[in-house]
Amino acid sequence: MTVLHNLQGFFEELRQEGVPITPSQAMDCCQAVLQVDWVREDYFYSALFSTLVKDYAYQEMFDQVFCRYFNFDASNQAGAKIIPIKSRQRESSEQISISGGQMALGTSLSRGGAAQSPGGSKNPLDQDFRLDSLADIHKLEAVFPIIARRLAAKMVKKRNRNNPALIDFRRTIRNSIASGGVPIDIFTVKKTREKPVILTMCDISGSVMTFSCFALALIASLERFFRKIDSFAFIDDIDEITGLLFTGNPLDLRTHVLKNARVVGPSGYTDYGVSLKAFHQRYRHHLSHKTSVLIFGDARNNWLNDESWVLQEMKKNVKKVYWFNPEPESSWGMGDSRIYEYQKYCTQVFECSTMLKLEKAISQL
Amino acid sequence: MVKRDGSRVGVSQGTVSVTHLDSNQINSSGGMKMHDKIQSVKGNMIKADYICNDKTATVLYLAEAMQKPILVEGPAGVGKTAIAQAFSRMKGIPLIRLQCYEGIDEAKALYEWNYKRQLLHIQAAINQDTNKVEEEIFSDTFLLSRPLLNSIVSDSPAVLLIDEIDKVDFEFEALLLELLSEFQITIPELGTIKAKHIPYVFLTSNASRELSEALKRRCLYLYLDFPSRDMEEQILLLKVPDLSEQLAQKVAGVMRRMRGVEMKKLPSISESIDWASSLMWLGKDDVDVDTLLQTLNTLVKHHEDLEKIERLLYSRQDLEFR
Repeated sequence: MTVLHNLQGFFEELRQEGVPITPSQAMDCCQAVLQVDWVREDYFYSALFSTLVKDYAYQEMFDQVFCRYFNFDASNQAGAKIIPIKSRQRESSEQISISGGQMALGTSLSRGGAAQSPGGSKNPLDQDFRLDSLADIHKLEAVFPIIARRLAAKMVKKRNRNNPALIDFRRTIRNSIASGGVPIDIFTVKKTREKPVILTMCDISGSVMTFSCFALALIASLERFFRKIDSFAFIDDIDEITGLLFTGNPLDLRTHVLKNARVVGPSGYTDYGVSLKAFHQRYRHHLSHKTSVLIFGDARNNWLNDESWVLQEMKKNVKKVYWFNPEPESSWGMGDSRIYEYQKYCTQVFECSTMLKLEKAISQL
Repeated sequence: MVKRDGSRVGVSQGTVSVTHLDSNQINSSGGMKMHDKIQSVKGNMIKADYICNDKTATVLYLAEAMQKPILVEGPAGVGKTAIAQAFSRMKGIPLIRLQCYEGIDEAKALYEWNYKRQLLHIQAAINQDTNKVEEEIFSDTFLLSRPLLNSIVSDSPAVLLIDEIDKVDFEFEALLLELLSEFQITIPELGTIKAKHIPYVFLTSNASRELSEALKRRCLYLYLDFPSRDMEEQILLLKVPDLSEQLAQKVAGVMRRMRGVEMKKLPSISESIDWASSLMWLGKDDVDVDTLLQTLNTLVKHHEDLEKIERLLYSRQDLEFR
């Protein structure tokens, strides 16, 4: 085994744990390892960490794998703290760089593509939110950051497109008279950019568990990009969750919200009516004519009052009301689904049964 | 390193020979040499008024050896900006700083054509050969260089600090890529300007948004966290002159425990330095609950946090923060 073989194994292990390692990172890492003194664990650690991890969120995972990987071998090789020390001694530099380097590159290249779409043939983005098996959730989890970034980039682009620097002709010419008709100073029209004001409401009951996890994660990433955003979550009571969300594992988000916000009322079953009414009573002042309201939920109301007048009232006072429903359109209105009742007061209702559809819906806004 | 086809592209200096040596020699000669280098970085940083641990010193050393930028992340006030400043002091070279903000563009960061001068030049040369004039107005004289361009054309090597990179737009990030990997800037009218000396680049980020993969890939990553108790003590002794060792120890201890409390904003190193010097000004040589209550506003900057800490102090009457 060469050092770089060892490193390659380490990369693979990291990738399996979900730490993205690109080929160029792998190359940098090999180079860095050659630069430092491997005898000292902390140098070795920093060399690996600074080249492989580019986000603090991965530190814990990295540490775990680092400990597991490099101590696991150490137990076989009596006393050696880090394996590369031992194996390196047997290697000539030639072998290290050629055999190992190629190996590191070759396999990581082949894996690089796979990492984008874990799960092989079926695109996880296209999978139904209602398939709640844990494996599916994990697949979605892996691609979620990509989606969030794509959406954010799209929104930013949209914003910039509306903002061309037009020349304020009158002002430029008027000022040019002072310099004998030469337009020394050019003035542009300052366009006041309307900043989006967003208010989100997310049903986080058990029936829409997977969907709500990703909706929360999405809201968290929206919070990062837009300053004016208020978020609420509800089951049969509603509470503000602005600033409560963090980016990271979508699955933890929901538990975090359940723990830290008062979203469960007396019954514990989803109740859109009570939640909407409570919103109207307590948080109405968050709305303004600039607000776009985004509601995430399946509108399954357990045969309770739907209180759709709240939405009607809301629609009058805000800019837009969008509803994102994780159920396929075919089952809308079936059973206790009240989506058609609410739809009357929404600007638009989107069917978001898969991640792709959710992405598409959001990017249409 | 190795190219994809397997041909060697030259492993960086010095390390190749080391691998030919047997184990004992690695530890005694080659190994020690690198160890010394890293330790000397650490020592020199201390001389430049910055205390760093081995991990940080290793990253600094690697950045220099591999000629790569460092992306520094971490909570506010742990010395992200200070590390670049100290590094420039250590090297004795100028620090060129680009403070990022929302809406910064290439005209502010890279270069801008001096439109007014160009215009005046055209006016003055109204009867001359137009081709010649056109050539003239797109030359160095009419170019206003901004921090990023300055950092690569300066006659001596420089430290380039790109502060709060997370504040910029996505497009601007893309603008940096050429500079960070090739150390060159392409100006359409002039051509490509290569760095005379490769600058030492530090990018700092508060992680208020995720940076693009492309940018991260080009950098070494350094996460600065709150320091250990010992390190904080050393920092205090270095930064607050005349501080007694005993008081530094106490301050560091209180800081350590206080950061264990869940707060909106944890007190940073710069705040603990402020606190220590405020204690000096008040002529205190010991820390007790009353002193802390008196000086709490140097440490805690959030109304809710303030209330929380005060409550803890009143109810417990000690500095344990449990």
